[in-house]
Formats: sequence, C-alpha cells, structure tokens
Amino acid sequence: MKNPVSNQTFPMRRIFTALLLGYWVLVVLLYVLMGYQLHFRESQGYISMANPDAGSVELTSGAVVEQTFSVHMQRIQSINVQWGAYYRSTNSGTVTVGLYNGNTGECLLSQDYDASAFTESCITTVTEGIPLDDIDNLPLVLRLTADSPEGGGVTPLMASNGAAEANTALSEGRTPFALTLNGQPSDGLLSFSVIGEDRTWIGLYYWRLAAAVWAVLAAYLLWCWHRWKSGKPTLLVGALMALEKYRFLIKQLVDRDFKAKYKRSILGVFWSFLNPLLNMLVQYVVFSNMFRFNIAYFPVYLLCGNVVFNYLAESCGMALMSIIGNKSLITKVYMPKYIYPLTRILSSLINLLISLIPLMAVALLSGLPITKAFLLLPIPLILLAIFCLGLGLLLSAAMVFFRDIQFLWSVLTTIWMYLTPIFYPVNILPEQIQTIVKLNPLYFYVTFMRSCIIDGVSPDPHLYIQGAMVAVVMLAIGSIVFKKSQDQFVLYL
Amino acid sequence: MNQDKNENQARGAVSRDAMIEVRDVSMRFRLTDDKIMSLKEFVTRTIAGKIQTSEFWALKNVSFDVYRGEVLGIIGHNGAGKSTILKVISGILKPTKGSVVCRGNIVPMLELGSGFDMDLTGRENIFLNGAILGYSEEFLNAKYQKIVDFSELGQFIDVPIRNYSSGMLMRLAFSVATVVNPEILIVDEILAVGDANFQEKSRKRMLELMSGGTTVLFVSHSMGQIREMCDRVVWLEHGVLQAAGETQAICDQYENR
Repeated sequence: MKNPVSNQTFPMRRIFTALLLGYWVLVVLLYVLMGYQLHFRESQGYISMANPDAGSVELTSGAVVEQTFSVHMQRIQSINVQWGAYYRSTNSGTVTVGLYNGNTGECLLSQDYDASAFTESCITTVTEGIPLDDIDNLPLVLRLTADSPEGGGVTPLMASNGAAEANTALSEGRTPFALTLNGQPSDGLLSFSVIGEDRTWIGLYYWRLAAAVWAVLAAYLLWCWHRWKSGKPTLLVGALMALEKYRFLIKQLVDRDFKAKYKRSILGVFWSFLNPLLNMLVQYVVFSNMFRFNIAYFPVYLLCGNVVFNYLAESCGMALMSIIGNKSLITKVYMPKYIYPLTRILSSLINLLISLIPLMAVALLSGLPITKAFLLLPIPLILLAIFCLGLGLLLSAAMVFFRDIQFLWSVLTTIWMYLTPIFYPVNILPEQIQTIVKLNPLYFYVTFMRSCIIDGVSPDPHLYIQGAMVAVVMLAIGSIVFKKSQDQFVLYL
Repeated sequence: MNQDKNENQARGAVSRDAMIEVRDVSMRFRLTDDKIMSLKEFVTRTIAGKIQTSEFWALKNVSFDVYRGEVLGIIGHNGAGKSTILKVISGILKPTKGSVVCRGNIVPMLELGSGFDMDLTGRENIFLNGAILGYSEEFLNAKYQKIVDFSELGQFIDVPIRNYSSGMLMRLAFSVATVVNPEILIVDEILAVGDANFQEKSRKRMLELMSGGTTVLFVSHSMGQIREMCDRVVWLEHGVLQAAGETQAICDQYENR
C-alpha cells in the first residue's frame, strides 16, 4: 500500500535538526570556497591608462614629474606607469616611483627601478606596499624622480591634452587631475593607471548576515513545528510530505523520460556527451574564423554557455508540453499536476549533469587547473534548475489555455540565445544593450560557471544574490500562476 | 482532497464510519461554442464580446456518505452524472461548489493502463503504472511476481509493450490495477478482459476485491449486478440525487419509473 505518512512516523524532528545544522556547514563551506572574492571585488573607480602621444620630461637628476589625482576605491592593488626610453641602450641610474598623501605629504609607498632595464613603451608596476588601504577620495600625488645623468634618463609618457578631458568626467568635490613637470603646470595627463578593490558589503557582514538568516530560518522552523504538532498545514511541511509521498512516482517518471529519450537510438546516452561537444565544435569553427573575439579558453567559454542555455531550452521546452502531453493521465488518474513539469525539469537536469563531463574534460585538456572554485558549481546549477522550474510551471499552465505559446516560445528561445553571451564576450556590446544583457537571468548563471571554471575563483558575491533572487522570484510567479489555474486544466485539455 | 485533521476528529464520533463524505457537490461545465486555443482568438473574441458560454450543471447539490466496508451502487441513465461524481471523488475534477472528504486511499479503476509507455518493457511499465496508481516501491517489489503470474505474460514481461497484443496489454494493466487491496475502490463497470479464460479469472478477482471488506463505489448499467453486489444504492438523474437507500427498494423504483 501507500506509505503511511503520518505525524507519528515522519521524522520531522530529524529533518529540522538537519536543516539547522546543515545550514552552518554550508555557511562555513561557502566562506572557505569563496575565499578572497567574498571580501573584495574589483573597484569600478579605477583609472585607466591614458593613450600617450608625447613624452613629458627626461627624468634626470633633480627632475620631478608630479601627477595629482584621487581614486574612489578602498584599496589600491596596482599602479602602473608607461615609459619612453627613446630606443637608447645607454639609460642608467635609478628611477623612483612614489605615492604621497596630497594633504600631509606623507609617503605612502615608493619603489625603485633600474632605468637601464626599461624598454620602449614599457610599463612599470608598483609591487611594494601593495595593497594600499585608506586612500578613498584622498588627494594623492604620484611623484616620479630619478638620479640618471643627462642624456641617460627615461621619460614618463603622457597624453598632452588629457587633463581637461579626464576632469570633465569627475564628479563634484573630487580632486582634479593635475600634472606638473619640474614644478611647471601642464595640460597633460600622465600615462598611468590605478587598479584597486572595494570591500564587499557581504564580506564585511558575512557572519552577522549568516546568523540573521539562521535566526529567521530557526523561527520559521519553530513555527512550522508548532503548526505541524497541532495538525495545521504549512508550506514547508506540506512540501516535505509531498516529497516523501511522491518520491517513488517522481523517480519513475524521470526514469521514463530518460529511458524514452534514448530508447531507440544506437548511441543512446552517449548523445548527452556528444551533443554539447558537437555544438561547441561548430560554434568554435564558425566563431574563431569569422569573428575573432579573442577570448581565453574559447572552447571552454563556449561549452559553459551552451550547457546552460541548452538546459533552459530543453527543460522548459519539455515542461511546456508536459500538461497537454499527459492529457490521458490527467483526465483519468489523480496526482498533483506540478509533478509533470517537475519531472521534466529533473530529467533534463540529469542530462545537464552528464554534459558536465565533456565540459570538464575540455577544461582539463585546455590546461585549466582544478581549483576549489569547482566545488561552487552546484550553486549556479541548482539556481538554474529552480529558475527553469518556475518558468516551466508558468509555460505549461499557459500552454493549456493558449496553444500559441509553443510558437512564441521557439521565437523567444532564439532571441534569448542571442541576448546571452554564449559565443561573444559581453563587453563587445554597446553600453545600453549590455545593461539589458546583464539583466538576463541566464547571464548570471553563465558568468557564475565561467568564473568558477575558467578564472578558478568565486564570482562577485552580488552574483549569488542576483542569481538566487531571480530564481526564487521566477519560481514564485510560476507556482502561483500554476496553482491558481490548475483546477481548470482538466476542462481545457 | 480536503483532509482537514480537525474535521476528522470532530466527526469521528459518528456511529457509522464515513469513508467518503460528499457534501453539496455541484459541478458546472462551461460550454463555449468552441474551445479557444489561441491568444489571438481570445483577445479578438473578448473585445468583440463573442465569448458565449452556456452553462451546464453536471451535478447539482449532491450529498451522500459512503460508509466503511459497504458497496455503494450508483445508478442512472447516460448523462446522469455518474462518471462525473466518480471523477470528483477521485480528485480528478474539482467541484465548482461543495466538498468531498475522503479518508483512505482510493484506487480508481476507471481506465486501465493509464500512463503505460509503449517504449518501455512490461517490467518497467509495472513499476511506472504502479507508481501512478500510488503504490509504494516496497509494495511493488513484494508483489511483482504476483502481478506477472496473474497476467500470464511469462517471458514477454521483458519485451517493450509496443509489441504486445491488445489482449496482453489489458491483462498486464488489469493485473497491476487489481494487485492492491485498497481502502476505497472505484469501479466503473466490472471489467472482464482478455480471452474467455482470463475474462473469468478477472471477473472473479473483481468480485473478490469487491466482497473483501473494502469500501466500493460501483457504477453499472446491469441492474442484476447492482442488486447482487450492493448494500446501498444512489440514484442520480440529470445531475440531481433522485433517491438513496436500500438496494432492492431503489432498484425497484428505478426500474418501474
């Protein structure tokens, strides 16, 4: 007979305890795996290198080049200066790059370079005293000096009319860019760049946030426990009970989807490997010859995009037909109707997991190292599945009432594919379109995966929150629409 | 189904244990002149005010109880609402008004072989169909051999069922559906499938199920079977409960009307 699921036998206490303890295991694990990226992210207040069109002055003994500026970032990670050597091999002496506090004149960092090692248009990077904290909006002076003899000095490069342009972009109250050459003011802008990081809000408050979320979770569980004891329904308990009750049915239906898919093909499940690989190969040939995007590890880049996008297209395409396709069952046997789209999402998920094998193989063959960030991969995949479940519920319900949805959906997937940076880098797009693309939920999941696999680091913590929010909101919309309309399904099939 | 536990406790005091309570159930179907299947049609017709719906009440304020262990017959002419009330009780249709409370698991024997997948083998279909009917994995594992034996499929059980004859399919479906001893059984006509031998065997199994102390809802056009099997009878006419009560009296009324 059916499993007797009742208050007495259901291990609710064990499940709730596991939830409360498992939460902390995840929190600690996430802290370790996210590592540096949890605390810092690349600042948007960087200064990019001005395109040089002139030399400033030859840095000989006594010559001083001073660039005044300020940055809006919390710590400086690197300061780079571009130099002209005038193709001389006779340069000699020591060049000093120093950074000073513009208010107090205090030396913040300083580094010496051997001038004879400078080549034409070479770029020096300051490594001593890095990272440099507490410089946000402080007036800073970059002072370049040397002890080279006359005719043997190197020359910092500059954009001869760059100051005006750079200053117009500055917001009110910021220290303007100003360049002095041996004490003489100049209209130029030194060819230098400053790159830095900001502390993330999440990193600063990580443990407090984690504790707060835990407190909310504990309160909710306590409330559920209380209502469960007195026999009242709650969403969580209801979901757990349904999971227990319908686990076998879901397993059987997923099994059927999966078996039926490859039943009469010769290569069978091998197609799950082959499909993404062949797709990637075609795109690789097309895009590495027609358009050159200059993306590192392009095959891996393509595969990440393909795997994510194919999952959406396949799972939602299947979920779309799940209600009308199971007409004979729905009109004859009672079972919760959400099971139909749910099983489609799950059986596609198995497919997705299989297609991760060729992805990993290509990543390793391309020489990418295995890092701890690989352990973060379940996060984008689970969020993607939740997002697709929400969308699938919505589509399957809409399909019952309007059969046009299937045609709309095929157009929509095409548009969606081009709006997702699958085979192009997002920064080749115009600014406005970039903003649209960055609102695309798939962008989060694709970027997340690429960050873990290609860069080997956790993405920006914001991406976690955005990805999770999009998934939860989509699931909420899908579930509400589905729940409201499901009683009508049988009348419209 | 509404399984409100408080309600359970409150009504537990009733002397006879009601397994199914049907309360004021009404079921309305909207008959549009044609089902609207496209968005464009929907929009244009809504704007034009052309959505004509005529209402049709398949059931009107039907109330009755089914007690534990009894066999309740439902009689009435074609279109009286017999199948609709069975679908409402088994949860496939949600009533427009009223409520149904069921205590116990239902096995609806409305249509055999629902959810069979033609590409899967007989063995795989036993588990799939069993899961759809709400059996647990342990139960199916335990009863698997019994199902295969009853269906007399033997070695064909590992063949994809698209290769089965229709008789074999029905035998398999019947064997899966009747292996269980459900608390509530819904029977829409006594099914006798397969060849003469199997028909006799399946008829026997049905009668065995129905007389085995389970609660049975039985729909049939054969007054002979109704008189023979049922403890009580509910008579529906055009969706309205005409009479309910002791079998012989109601059947006499129905036949002499």
